[in-house]
Amino acid sequence: MMVSFIQALLDGLMVGGVYAVISIGLTLVFGIMGIVNFAQAEFLMIGMFVAYFLWSVLGLDPLVGSFVAFAVVGALGYVLQRTIIKRVLKAPAVAQVFLTVGLLIVLENGALLAFGSQLRSVSVSYQTLSWKLGPFFISVPYLAAFAMSVLSGLALWLFLNRSWFGWAMRSTAQDPMAAQLIGINTDRLRAIAFGVGVGLTAFGGAVVLPYLSVFPTIGGQFIVLMFTVAVLGGLGSVAGAVVGGLAVGVITSVSALFLPVQLQNLVLFLVFIAVLAFRPDGLIGSAR
Amino acid sequence: MKRARNLLVAGAGLALALILPMAVDANGYAVRVLTLVLLFAAMAQAWNIVGGLASQMSLGHAAFFGLGAYTSTLLLIHFGLSPWIGMIASALVGGAAAFALSLPTMRLKGHYFALATLAFAEVFRVAANAWSSLTGGPVGLSIPYGEPSFLMMQFQDTRSYYYLALSAFAVVTVVFAAIKFSSLGYRLRAIRENQAAAEVVGVQTTKVKIQAAVISGCLTAALGTIYAQLNFFFDPDSVFAALQISIRVALITIVGGIGTVVGPLVGAVFIIPLEELTNVLFADKAAGLSQLVYGLLLIVIVLIQPRGLAALVGSALARRPKTSGAGT
Repeated sequence: MMVSFIQALLDGLMVGGVYAVISIGLTLVFGIMGIVNFAQAEFLMIGMFVAYFLWSVLGLDPLVGSFVAFAVVGALGYVLQRTIIKRVLKAPAVAQVFLTVGLLIVLENGALLAFGSQLRSVSVSYQTLSWKLGPFFISVPYLAAFAMSVLSGLALWLFLNRSWFGWAMRSTAQDPMAAQLIGINTDRLRAIAFGVGVGLTAFGGAVVLPYLSVFPTIGGQFIVLMFTVAVLGGLGSVAGAVVGGLAVGVITSVSALFLPVQLQNLVLFLVFIAVLAFRPDGLIGSAR
Repeated sequence: MKRARNLLVAGAGLALALILPMAVDANGYAVRVLTLVLLFAAMAQAWNIVGGLASQMSLGHAAFFGLGAYTSTLLLIHFGLSPWIGMIASALVGGAAAFALSLPTMRLKGHYFALATLAFAEVFRVAANAWSSLTGGPVGLSIPYGEPSFLMMQFQDTRSYYYLALSAFAVVTVVFAAIKFSSLGYRLRAIRENQAAAEVVGVQTTKVKIQAAVISGCLTAALGTIYAQLNFFFDPDSVFAALQISIRVALITIVGGIGTVVGPLVGAVFIIPLEELTNVLFADKAAGLSQLVYGLLLIVIVLIQPRGLAALVGSALARRPKTSGAGT
């Protein structure tokens, strides 16, 4: 029992690392623009498809393809922000929610039209590999996805804290007017922030491709999960999303030990509602 | 003056609604679409109590709707209870669920409230899928087919279901209007404008919001019963659906004009036939195309006029000699 518990804990932490990265995108967009992007999970789906086709056409490993997925989806996000999202930044929450819900429907069904509803998966050499560590098994695809997530998390941290862009972005989030006064093009920065946000989520989608199949409606499986992670950590807080991601990874993985698979999501939803009710600013306090 | 004019318009609308199905085939497709328009208008009107008057953007009304469908249908299957009585039971269950949801979510605002309610409805969808022994699981439930009778809420012709939906819409609209123009409505408006100020002048904000939520939950659940009777079959993914029920109902209200008496009807008259049309036009071409068109329209509507079609009409009217719009 103890062994399987620790095994679940390990799996949960590795999967949770990925959850953190895909949710950082969501929380970043909220932190800088104040928009809850209901379509965020669709960018994960697009990222998976980009990585899948890079693999099937060029034979590129999804872990390498993830960088392309980041770039492609990031560019898409930049364009979407400049053309559509920008117009509702000052609109009431209702308009923002329904715009992103509309985007969700368009992206999901666009993918359905383009790629059909069948499941697609890649095959890579390390797919079923696992290392034995005492009584435990470390799944190599999990570990690889986790390592990539840590890498991208560090890169984002450097970007936000050590680059001019990061500094300007945080200024824009804090006080758009003042940011503009000191010569920051806030419009462009918001677009970059949105691009980086959805790009990261796409990146996270690409790195899980070795152990998850892709299909157009896969976003639906991640949407509540992403919101749970982001709200658990405090919407807008990047560091919080890391903690939230790991927590959600462990919760789903451990609850799988004693609950049937259909009820795993139920636990997640209940945790989500409980967090919203008792700690709406997240477990580690308010970010903004 | 204004009230008299409004009553006149309502009366004319009702008369038109009463004779409309006579103009089309009694069991035809058109009657069915009209029935759906009214049913969804009624659901949107019930949503409007919470979303429009209290300004709390619920994305979880599918929870009450689904509970209503399951409650009356299970009572019908296991005890042969008339759906009319089942509908009352449904309303009670829906109200209780709304009360239970209110307790943890009342203090939440905007996006947070939307997210919490969305997750709430998902809990029921997942639970209904998993708890097969009670709900039949993903297979769904069918209404036992019997001799058509008013008592069992089963009718021979589709036209009767149309009148059922029309009555439901009328009832919900009367309730909505009664709340809107009562002291409860004024308290809700005060909370919407400024919660702190409302509290200072003595509005018990929590109590008032819970009242609105419970009434809305009751009505939505009762409409779930009517949907079950009309459709003869449902499963967890159709009645507890986030997109097909919760979001669609909110969307209809927003498109029509949030917080207004006519908004839900305007929205439903626009959205439901549009969906049917895109389905008919594109369904056989490729899966997803009709939904794609739907999503695009949603984006376009939000970008053109976030305050809804009623506001669009209102601003067109305002250019003529001053007529007050549909209110706020």
